[in-house]
Amino acid sequence: MEETGLRAPLPTTASEAGLVACEVCLLLSPRGRARCPRCGSRLHPRKPDSIPRTWALLIAALILYLPANLLPMTTVVTLGRAQSDTILSGVIYFIQTGSWPIAVVIFIASILVPLLKIAVLACLLVSVQRGSSFRPVDRTRLYRVTELVGRWSMLDIFVVTVLVAVVNLGAIATIQAGPAAPFFAAVVVITMFAAMSFDPRLIWDRCSGEKRDE
Amino acid sequence: MSEADPQANGFATAPRAHVRRRRSLSLVWVVPLAAALIGVWLVYKAVSEKGPEITITFKSAEGLEAGKTKVRYKDVDIGQVTAIELSQDLKGVLVRAALARDAERLISENTRFWVVRARVSASAIYGLGTVFSGAYIDLDPGPPGRPARHFTGLEQPPVVTTGMPGRHFILESERRESIEIGCPVYFRQIRVGEVVSYQLSEDGAKIVSKIFVHDPYHRFVRTNSRFWSAGGLDVRIDSAGIRVRTESLVSLLAGGIAFDTFAEHGEDAGEAREEAVFRLYANADAAREREYDERNFFVLLFDESVRGLSPGAPLEFRGLQVGKVIDIKTELDLASNRVRIPVVVALEPERITLRERPQGKTTREEMLASLVERGLRAQLRTASLLTGQLYVALDFFPKAPPARISPKGPYGHPEFPTTPTPFEEIGAKLNRLIDHLDRLPFEEIGRDLRATVQGARRVADSPALVDALQSLNAALKEVRELVRELRTGAAPELKATLEEARRSLAAAQSTLAADSPLQSRLNAALDELAAAARALRALADYLERHPEAAVFGKGNEK
Repeated sequence: MEETGLRAPLPTTASEAGLVACEVCLLLSPRGRARCPRCGSRLHPRKPDSIPRTWALLIAALILYLPANLLPMTTVVTLGRAQSDTILSGVIYFIQTGSWPIAVVIFIASILVPLLKIAVLACLLVSVQRGSSFRPVDRTRLYRVTELVGRWSMLDIFVVTVLVAVVNLGAIATIQAGPAAPFFAAVVVITMFAAMSFDPRLIWDRCSGEKRDE
Repeated sequence: MSEADPQANGFATAPRAHVRRRRSLSLVWVVPLAAALIGVWLVYKAVSEKGPEITITFKSAEGLEAGKTKVRYKDVDIGQVTAIELSQDLKGVLVRAALARDAERLISENTRFWVVRARVSASAIYGLGTVFSGAYIDLDPGPPGRPARHFTGLEQPPVVTTGMPGRHFILESERRESIEIGCPVYFRQIRVGEVVSYQLSEDGAKIVSKIFVHDPYHRFVRTNSRFWSAGGLDVRIDSAGIRVRTESLVSLLAGGIAFDTFAEHGEDAGEAREEAVFRLYANADAAREREYDERNFFVLLFDESVRGLSPGAPLEFRGLQVGKVIDIKTELDLASNRVRIPVVVALEPERITLRERPQGKTTREEMLASLVERGLRAQLRTASLLTGQLYVALDFFPKAPPARISPKGPYGHPEFPTTPTPFEEIGAKLNRLIDHLDRLPFEEIGRDLRATVQGARRVADSPALVDALQSLNAALKEVRELVRELRTGAAPELKATLEEARRSLAAAQSTLAADSPLQSRLNAALDELAAAARALRALADYLERHPEAAVFGKGNEK
């Protein structure tokens, strides 16, 4: 929504102009209206309770991130021998067997991305709460990347789901989803919700406020 | 902060937004709360389920993997190996395992741990599942004891675990008798137990094996039961043919122990108690053989070779075994000019039952002494001509030089008198021959012979014989004259007659020859006769059909 160059003087924002953007159809309406005249959805100048909501979801994701990584993700039963693997032990296994690309993919998608997502959102929240005007464009870009990349973490869950369905050879080999799978899925989903509930306009509110103060 | 002032600007017609103060705490906080609760629950679960951490020392960690190998009891996972490291002295491995909370009740200082791996023995295959699933650590809780955290693992799985109803017994044998741990124990060919362990006794003199007999069967082990090694085949060749016996195919391969109770082995004083000690016999026959507690040892000094005599050879009295050879000493007493070989025998007097005891002789020694007085001697005899095996025979030799049982001599046992073999046998044969010769009526025969000779002489000397001879001579002379007369007188006439006879025979021969005229004429005559007969038969036929022809003659009716 904010399409301003970094060096250019900040233009007037919608809120400064006394307008409210519809969150659904992006129609600018004058402030004071309860519903969008076009699509009828509720109008809020900013996402309501954005920061507490994002914080709450972020904390929940952080808590769930622990069991998601400590508990076994899959249990492979090969010829009566059960072997449980956490995400990290799976990565180590792939490294040991020389499958570097797979190890890198799993590591990035399943460990690094959720963790970075949580970290990025936390940083954004802190910066917004502290009223920082530090590199608003970069922060906004960071937010977009985070939102875009977040869903790819579900890759691991999908892989496990497919494996469980495909590798079901009875006594020879069976793969079962471990207890970490629901936790991991919850982490991914909750971080996605957290990213959604964060309102990136808040980054610019502060900047423009500062600009105005100056 | 997020709230902007809604009343700053707006359309007059539009409904006014009602600005409410939101609740101080957003409902979204339920999500992290729930996550926290889940986390707390997981932590609580992990902590509450965390059982004792134990350390087990094994000689080797073969097949064990940290983080993968399970600890199981009755095939239920109760823990997992967390770490494997070398022991301080590098002689073994320390296996650390985290057990479940429930396992606390199982382990005590008496608990035994061992690694279950695939194991193949002659009698069974164990732990086949571990080929695929990997080794695991099994445990036997054992009797309750003080809590412990450090254990020494067994290298071999115990055959009998606690809680198995039954009874242990101890068997002693001189040899191992091909017993293996886990070997079956049979009672009447039913498998009733296993060999738990075997080891050398402290002094190395015997093998002490421990067996376990399972519950309903342990009652069959009586105080007078006999155990024997039932491994392999029991092949016996006797008058009934060849008999092959084995307890089972397993025992044929892996060996085994069988037991039974025989009535002849003393009184049955009830069930044998736990860890009762029995002797393990080498085979069923040895076990069945009655054991004679009373043994009298004697030394027999033989002059002859004892080649073919071995310890265990029977001591027989007229074919009944009364004892056996225990030892053949190698010490020779050269000082006393005779080289005699001492043979120690054990006489088992219980084998012989005396119907009535000789009067006055109360003790066995006295009885034996009296028997020796009557000629009882020991002698080496050949048991088998094929193998040259010898045995010691006791028999009466009334003609043997008097001897008696001498008290304990240099060999520690009383010396029993012996009698030499070959001379004795030859002597006996000679005796028998002489007896026979004695029985012949030599005097009578001589007397008769003499009478005959005398009679003959009398006949020869008599004048009648002379007369007879003279008349015989005259008769012979007459016969000779007659013969001469015949040769000179009757002979020429006889010759002429014979020649005439030969001529007549030649004439007859020429007449009867095939090409003689007589012969051909005779043939022609016979042919004529045959034709006449045929004509006559035709005539007779004709007359039969035409009787009128006899009157009217042969007509021309054709």
